[in-house]
Amino acid sequence: VLVFTRRRNESIVVADGIEIRVLRVTKDAVRLGVTAPADIPVHRQEVYEQIRDENRRAAQPRLPIAALLSHMKGPGSPG
Amino acid sequence: MSMTEPHDRTSITRVDTAFGTFDVAASDIVSFPAGVPGFEECRRFVLLSSAALAPLQCLQSVEGPSVSFLVIDPRRVQADYRCVLSDMDRRRLTATDDALLWLAVVTVEAEQTTVNLRAPVVIDSRHMVGYQLMPAGSLYPLRFPVPGIA
Repeated sequence: VLVFTRRRNESIVVADGIEIRVLRVTKDAVRLGVTAPADIPVHRQEVYEQIRDENRRAAQPRLPIAALLSHMKGPGSPG
Repeated sequence: MSMTEPHDRTSITRVDTAFGTFDVAASDIVSFPAGVPGFEECRRFVLLSSAALAPLQCLQSVEGPSVSFLVIDPRRVQADYRCVLSDMDRRRLTATDDALLWLAVVTVEAEQTTVNLRAPVVIDSRHMVGYQLMPAGSLYPLRFPVPGIA
């Protein structure tokens, strides 16, 4: 792990076009501004992990379509 | 398969899906420059519609592993659904609002069907570019239960 000391308004540059700037520091939080090219995903880690896991549950490489539609249109599905 | 010329709008890609094989024109392919969380290797998708599937549609990868998601207009699930695009989202989805297509990913499991209202997929239909957004502080649930979509 690379460890840096940065002050407010200082930044770190990662590769070409990715910049992470310290905007504000409080007692237990740091506000960061990230500039990155459009093909670089930038996410809060815990949010990213939730959505990744949900996408994996949702991905249906081979959907049993008929069963699926009867399920979805069926009356009184538990909810 | 050879590389598709970026400006060749007429070339055809054959896509194998759960509903059969489709021929897709290059102009129908939506690029996801950042991939989709969990499937970052899939950066090109096509949105398939069929009467049997409506109001759902299928977002099918045409690159990398054959991944497909069932999706639905989030406003069909919550009529007042509204998400604000961040500055970064705006820089990536530059079309005017009426050219942005909003889709929520549907998860079908034996016991329950849920819709991911937290992280919508937004397609800029003008530039055929899509991202799955992860709005900060969204109060919409990751798993919004729907008893039946019909």
